[in-house]
Amino acid sequence: MSLNKELNKTPKMAKSSWKRDFKMNWRIYLLVLPVIIYYFIFNYLPMGGLIMAFEHFTPVKGFFGSKWVGFDNFIQFFSAPNFTQILRNTFVISLLGLLISFPMSIVFALLLNEIYNTFFKKAVQVISYMPYFISTVVICGLVIDFVSSNGVITNLLVKLGMERQNMMLNPDFFWGINLLSDLWQGLGYGSIIFIAAISSVSQEQYEAAAIDGAGRLKRAWHVTLPGIMPTIITMLILRCGLIMTVGFDKILLLYNPSIYSTADVIATNVQRMGLEKAQYGYSAAVGLFNSLVGTTLLLVSNGISRKYAEHSVL
Amino acid sequence: MVEKVSFSRVVFNILNYGFMILLCIVCIAPLWHVMMASVSDPRELMSSSGLLYKPLGHITFKGYQLVLKNPNIITGYINTLFYVASTTILGIILTIIAGFVISRDNLKLKTPISVMILFTMMFGGGLIPTYMVIKALGMVNTSSAVIIPGVINAFYIFMMKSSFEQLPASYEESAKLDGAGPLTIMIKILLPLIKSTIAVVIMFNIVMQWNSWFPASIYLAGRRDLWPLQLFMREILVQNDTGKILSGSDAQSKADFATNLVKYCATVVATLPILCVYPFAQKYFVKGVTIGGVKG
Repeated sequence: MSLNKELNKTPKMAKSSWKRDFKMNWRIYLLVLPVIIYYFIFNYLPMGGLIMAFEHFTPVKGFFGSKWVGFDNFIQFFSAPNFTQILRNTFVISLLGLLISFPMSIVFALLLNEIYNTFFKKAVQVISYMPYFISTVVICGLVIDFVSSNGVITNLLVKLGMERQNMMLNPDFFWGINLLSDLWQGLGYGSIIFIAAISSVSQEQYEAAAIDGAGRLKRAWHVTLPGIMPTIITMLILRCGLIMTVGFDKILLLYNPSIYSTADVIATNVQRMGLEKAQYGYSAAVGLFNSLVGTTLLLVSNGISRKYAEHSVL
Repeated sequence: MVEKVSFSRVVFNILNYGFMILLCIVCIAPLWHVMMASVSDPRELMSSSGLLYKPLGHITFKGYQLVLKNPNIITGYINTLFYVASTTILGIILTIIAGFVISRDNLKLKTPISVMILFTMMFGGGLIPTYMVIKALGMVNTSSAVIIPGVINAFYIFMMKSSFEQLPASYEESAKLDGAGPLTIMIKILLPLIKSTIAVVIMFNIVMQWNSWFPASIYLAGRRDLWPLQLFMREILVQNDTGKILSGSDAQSKADFATNLVKYCATVVATLPILCVYPFAQKYFVKGVTIGGVKG
């Protein structure tokens, strides 16, 4: 093996070392071939297929025969009457999650850390992680049922003075309904990573802080929180990279035409335009715009955190 | 370490325990409501307005009889079990292979392959181009369209890779001296050592597949006989189409009041298996989440 490494270092031998590599590792390459083929077909061919975003695509004419229209699809999207609306909805729904669900998972982990009864703590964990394992379809079914005109939540709000209505048909409620159901499903599960991070903060630091006279709150603030900061930043970067996807399958199940004004996001728009209205080129362009923004957000947040917090995921 | 218990600490503890108990109630209440509603008297259920903590009226299993006799639910169950089994087996094999290969340090193509996989985590073709490729391959309206695309998850490959890398090299060296090839080394020596990572990937895949509905909804639109359970659930719960499940000689007249009952029973039938398995598999989910993310 060391001989092989030395051979790699000399540029003159480059060709023969490739040969050597294949001779030595052909079985491994044969083994991984299905994976490479898989990635080529199901990930890289669709990337090549993005060419349709610049075409007036029709399935009959295919990727190569369809009419080339340049940036027309993009221009059509940017000048569409609902462009600002779906862009706003995408960001609002994502940022509500980022600014509310995300910090609440951290707070929940910190609070759970203050519980010393092991059995009680374990029970809370099992119960609070549970909603995460229920399918999106069932969750959305429950939500629709609970906020219907005679639903459990509607009845509660009517008692508090709301006018009786099917809340799923009122655009004013959608952001709240979506956020609260996300919170119900994801709060416990989202905290797992922070609970694990807290348990790896060194006990010595706590003891030192206690000797210095720091109370529980001070220890949580000055020891625990800095201790889990790298994890928080990592998760934050990953969340930033997902801003444009916004759990769109859930929205797809929940929304209906009467609340498009607050519920329609870019990803649901792509699905509707592409698969229901057969505007292939246009929706591919919208999808491309969406993933470019998403990738940019991920790279930018990663760059910022690398520069200022000296942590990055990539 | 002995500590003085201050007054404020006591107040905090009471509030904290109170909050946790409240949170647990909020997590369980909707599910409990559904379970109780599923065995309630349908007429009383129609006129009830709050969360149920016990069944209304006489306990009845009529709803379950309707649901469990229903051909859609049975078809959905069988299809889902088939999709779960096939994606799990195929997925775990490919994930292990990919993770194993990119954990080798004497491969010239190690970096190109890693980058090829990593890049797909950041950027992809998106819904429509992917659909067109799968359509061009003739996979639309066949079960392969929900099994094969998405059977590999890049995140799990990197999880597998780091598990392989954490194994001491000495295991492998001695096997190499005995003349074992890479495949033998992987299967006989390394796999038993990363059992828990394999379990994590399998568990995540089972839950994900059980709950998956979106790929099937776009690729299997024309083939109800291939639908997974979740698509029938969508029909019942979201599109509110209990008519299809109730249609038949005996049920039509009962449809008015049985609708809700069927909804709740179907929810229980579709959700209970996962909720029964989950507490036993919880440690794997916790492990899976923490492998990738904890730093520092």
